[in-house]
Amino acid sequence: MTSGLFDPISIGARAAANRVVFGPHVTNLGAGRSLSEGHVAYYERRARGGCATLVTEVASVHESDWPYERAPLASACARGWRAITEACKPHGSLVLAGLGHAGMQGSTAWTQDVLWAPSLVANVMTHEQPLVMGDEEVAALVAGFAASATIACDQGCDGVELNAGQHSLLRQFCSGLTNLRGDRLGEDRAALLRDVVDAVRAVVGDAIVGVRFCLDELAPWAGITTQVAAELLTGATEGVDYVCFVRGSIYSEAATQPDGHVEQAFNEAATAELANALRLTGPSPLVCAQGSIVDLETAERLVATAAIDLVEMTRAQIADPDLCAKAVSGEGARVRPCILCNQHCLVRDPRNPIVSCCVNPLAGHEREDAALDIDVVEHPRGHAPAAVVVGGGVAGLEAARALARLGHAVVLHEQDDALGGAVRSAARLPGRSRLGALADWLEREAVHEGVTIRTTSRVDAADLVDDAIVVVATGGAPARLWLRDGDDGSVQVLDARSVADGAALAGVVVVLDPIGGPVGVGVAEMAAQLGATTTLITSDVVVGSQLSASGDLVDANGRLARAGVAVIGHARAVAISAGSVVVEDSFTALRVSVPAVVCVDAGHRVPEDRTWPPSATVIGDAVAPRGILMAMLEARRVACSAGAPSR
Amino acid sequence: MTSTSRLELLFKPLSVGPLRLANRIVFSAHLTNYAVDGLPSAQHAAYYAARARGGAGLIVTEEHSTHPTDWPYEKLIHGFNPEVLPGYRRITDAVHAYGTPILAQLNHNGGQASSMYSRLAVWAPSPIADPLFKEVPKAVDDEEIASIVAGYADVAARCIEGGFDGVELQCSHSSIVRAFLSSATNRRADRWGGSLENRARLLLALVDAVRTAIGPDKALGVRLCGDELLDGGTTIDEAVEVAVMVEATGSVDYLNTSIGVATSSLFAIEASMAVRPGYALFIPSAIRRRVGLPVVGVGRFKDPVQADRALTEGHCDLVGVVRGQIADADFARKARSGHTERVRLCLSCNQECVGRMGLNRWLGCIENARTGRESEPAAPRARRPRTVVVVGAGPAGLQVAVTAAERGHRVVILEREAEPGGQVALAARVPGRAEFGDLVRNLLSELRALGVEVTQGVDATVELVASFSPDAVVVATGSTPASPWWGADVPDGAPQLLDVTDVLRGTAVEGRAVLVVDELGFHQATSVAELLADRGHAVEIASPSLVVGQDLGVTLDLEQFWVRATAKGIVQTTSTMVTGLRRGAADIQHVLTGVSGSRDVDAVVLALPAIPNDALAEGCRVRGFDVHTVGDARAPRRAHAAIVDGTRVGSAL
Repeated sequence: MTSGLFDPISIGARAAANRVVFGPHVTNLGAGRSLSEGHVAYYERRARGGCATLVTEVASVHESDWPYERAPLASACARGWRAITEACKPHGSLVLAGLGHAGMQGSTAWTQDVLWAPSLVANVMTHEQPLVMGDEEVAALVAGFAASATIACDQGCDGVELNAGQHSLLRQFCSGLTNLRGDRLGEDRAALLRDVVDAVRAVVGDAIVGVRFCLDELAPWAGITTQVAAELLTGATEGVDYVCFVRGSIYSEAATQPDGHVEQAFNEAATAELANALRLTGPSPLVCAQGSIVDLETAERLVATAAIDLVEMTRAQIADPDLCAKAVSGEGARVRPCILCNQHCLVRDPRNPIVSCCVNPLAGHEREDAALDIDVVEHPRGHAPAAVVVGGGVAGLEAARALARLGHAVVLHEQDDALGGAVRSAARLPGRSRLGALADWLEREAVHEGVTIRTTSRVDAADLVDDAIVVVATGGAPARLWLRDGDDGSVQVLDARSVADGAALAGVVVVLDPIGGPVGVGVAEMAAQLGATTTLITSDVVVGSQLSASGDLVDANGRLARAGVAVIGHARAVAISAGSVVVEDSFTALRVSVPAVVCVDAGHRVPEDRTWPPSATVIGDAVAPRGILMAMLEARRVACSAGAPSR
Repeated sequence: MTSTSRLELLFKPLSVGPLRLANRIVFSAHLTNYAVDGLPSAQHAAYYAARARGGAGLIVTEEHSTHPTDWPYEKLIHGFNPEVLPGYRRITDAVHAYGTPILAQLNHNGGQASSMYSRLAVWAPSPIADPLFKEVPKAVDDEEIASIVAGYADVAARCIEGGFDGVELQCSHSSIVRAFLSSATNRRADRWGGSLENRARLLLALVDAVRTAIGPDKALGVRLCGDELLDGGTTIDEAVEVAVMVEATGSVDYLNTSIGVATSSLFAIEASMAVRPGYALFIPSAIRRRVGLPVVGVGRFKDPVQADRALTEGHCDLVGVVRGQIADADFARKARSGHTERVRLCLSCNQECVGRMGLNRWLGCIENARTGRESEPAAPRARRPRTVVVVGAGPAGLQVAVTAAERGHRVVILEREAEPGGQVALAARVPGRAEFGDLVRNLLSELRALGVEVTQGVDATVELVASFSPDAVVVATGSTPASPWWGADVPDGAPQLLDVTDVLRGTAVEGRAVLVVDELGFHQATSVAELLADRGHAVEIASPSLVVGQDLGVTLDLEQFWVRATAKGIVQTTSTMVTGLRRGAADIQHVLTGVSGSRDVDAVVLALPAIPNDALAEGCRVRGFDVHTVGDARAPRRAHAAIVDGTRVGSAL
């Protein structure tokens, strides 16, 4: 019997309205180590959008664990859980408290103490050795899980999800990579997990107990594999209502929530295999699938299989909190797509950025940006002044869409024959095709909202009438490549966007990347794929330094290495001379000449130097070329301020 | 040296505008990350008050942002938010209790910022992305420049209302004023760009507006960069010309100086021990020759004697001592009372001060666990003196002994080696890392003052410990180098296999070609590699990480390591691990591609996470003693963890 994504389901003794889960993730919304008003608004918005089950950000069950500065501490979360449940339950949602301990994957920066671990295996990032847990620490951990679950359920949570997935001490006990103990907890690596589940079940009554479990550590020499996971879970799921399967280990943190280089639903086969293995051994908990599930069709397909009962659509609902509501009302095609860019939602970052989203910059800012949330609020139509938007890239399309939704009659002018601007170009780079989904969506929605779109229509200041609302979103332009010691013209210089758009690359290519983002790496990969002998010059010590934020740093370095791209670090081009790019080491000032036929400038762009009437509002890259998020945000702001009664 | 006679100038009072400074020691502006939600905290007040109590002549707080477009890092004081006022008063009241003047530094970081926190475009003279933040700024127009100037005036007035004795304008390091002054970042063709006069227009407008805002009776300082170390950037000649312009306004009371730009040449601003002290003195020296205003010199002043020499040699009128007073809040008081040897000298290791700033953590100090925690109560004296036996005289053991003895306990320290200091003493044997050894020197000097002796050359057994009838035993026995996972399968004829600590202890390294394995990402591998290269070995460092010595970047040691390593012919191989040894070679594998290879080498030197030596703890526990394990014996970590462990246990005994 197949089931639908929006069919109700019983999770343990509770009823969930549908199969969609908003999974636990780092938000940095915390106030100290407590859950904040920001958390409440963030989860409430997803509950309001129809998500049936929400798991709150993982809270540390013991004070020895402080994995990142704003990591919630369960003993400080009582009020927060109360407020979240009170905000979400009126929408019919279940709220589960994420509970965990990061163990040797944590940090001592804030505790100024030791990491806890099953065995003496150093933290991969800091190389710090942990404290090998003794009986006392093990007992404190088990008691911490039980005490935390008690707090959560007392405050109205419908249950808890215990983290034995990424960043978890429970997984570290389950894994041969990290558990080298000779005692009972080493001989039977699932023993601690069972102890914790038993202790939690004993205190939560009939509330939901879920387990987030690792199905593949991607380290087959000693780590958890699908087969090992099945063995570990056999007999360990008594008292567990559902298991959510994730992947990744100490050596592959980025693999748990990868960007668009990895296909959607990458855990599907292993999850199904495990689900079937569990069912062979008797009554089995529900199975929740996780792993870049962002499209409704994908989620529906998964739930239609017998193996999978629930699907975690976390990034999809960061991007569109109304995903469920839209789907249920037959408007699934209008869901704002997650583009799997990971640029603003992966926030386990020392700078504590607040979780947000390129395509939905209101995410994480639900309280202060409530007035910009035009997707749900009904706005008066018909009395708004007409608006002209110049430029059909992301900023222009979003401004036009939002203005039209707010009741303005909008005409959008785009000088090219296609819409989407720089995002369309970026989507042509290897592994970035998903970016195009945003341009497609904006274009569809603009049409749907009634925007009049004029392509191949170049507009200048003189064409703009005074009384209309004018929004200028004409984007950026390539900066002139500045070479301190000159350019004899012996190497063809191209800008990255023209290369992405198809400018010919062949022979010997040098890519200049002072940014370290996706573009320089993508252009180098593209050149290598086209058969060019490729060298990437980066001003940073490592290639793609900015990709650590999206989790693609190590993978990008691996792809470049496998493609044979040569890399020169902490360097910059100072001249083009006699068929070579002259490259200077920023540390030693030593120079090398790299022969080249084509030199691609993947550096920063500049705003187009054009003059507009004082009444025009300039947004996006036309102000300063930045990312998608600022373009989307500035567009939304200008639309909402234009629609304000004061205008 | 026990006399202040050699520190005559350092303690000679000086008038700076309306202020009378008791001495020439300035606690210059530096980030602390103590702000909470953009507001100054109780920790700020306690931190500055501790340095006032310790005798600093002048304190300049960290920067206060003058405009909502300026929010480059999370824990910045939002001076533009009127809610800062109570926090201002808390700071100034706490500092004034010691009679010490305190100024607020005002700043707008300009394009050396991102929109991450502000969710606004960043502002700068020209749309040139900063090399660290990598975000293209908006080139400001006249209206926006007027708004910047108004912001400075507004915040300056608020600072005076909050009790500050004046303000300092940050025009160096990371600042929109710096960006306007520098041809590297100001490409404007209007009246704000081009000639030096045009580029200085914003600075002079700010001086004018701020002086008007603070009135004639408060101090106004300007901090200028003498050399940006940037292509096309400000160098000393232009800096001197700007200083002359600033003096000519008649509105400014002193000039502070700096070197480097925070987001591209930070290693020069907060130089590590690899750079000689006083390296930036040419800047105040040059400025002082042309202007009459008091000039502050900065740049790794860690010793009162050396600070005094900068004054007597005429380079400057005041000396900025920042890290020296982070390490020891009583730097000035100890020097003045003739106890320069008691000053806890800064190591210039940059591990917990500079190193924590870029990571968005609160400012601390590797050798002073109180730094950053001043607002918390200090451990009280012990109610009942106990006999404490500390086994091991590395940093953890020495720190336990200091803290416990300060609290009134009787302390016995037993050390197996002939010299105290543990791995810190070993690490300091490498040329260029000698100042790291000051950590041990400082602790021993404290112990000497407390009358605690270290018994050296004894292998502590449970029986020996028991012979002291201890009330508490602290096991600080350190760690042992680990064997690699392939260590059991080393065949005959394989390269010599040894640990970095073996090399530092004097084991001879065989042959010429050496492969150093860096699995710690810090100085262990890189410094020993340099040592071996200096001895004539051909050295390659292999690291499984993307960078050899990855954390050298955090402490600002990476650039210069790279320069030295290049000169010494050291090869750096990244993303590579050693998978075993065979006759005359090491097998390696590239961790990203899986491609295997080998290196023909004579020796392999390992820097691996170590194994705790905790056997004694178990033995003592069995005997029923109150046992505490600290430092590497608890879990092998860096020196700071040993100091924190030692302080924590010493405070709890």
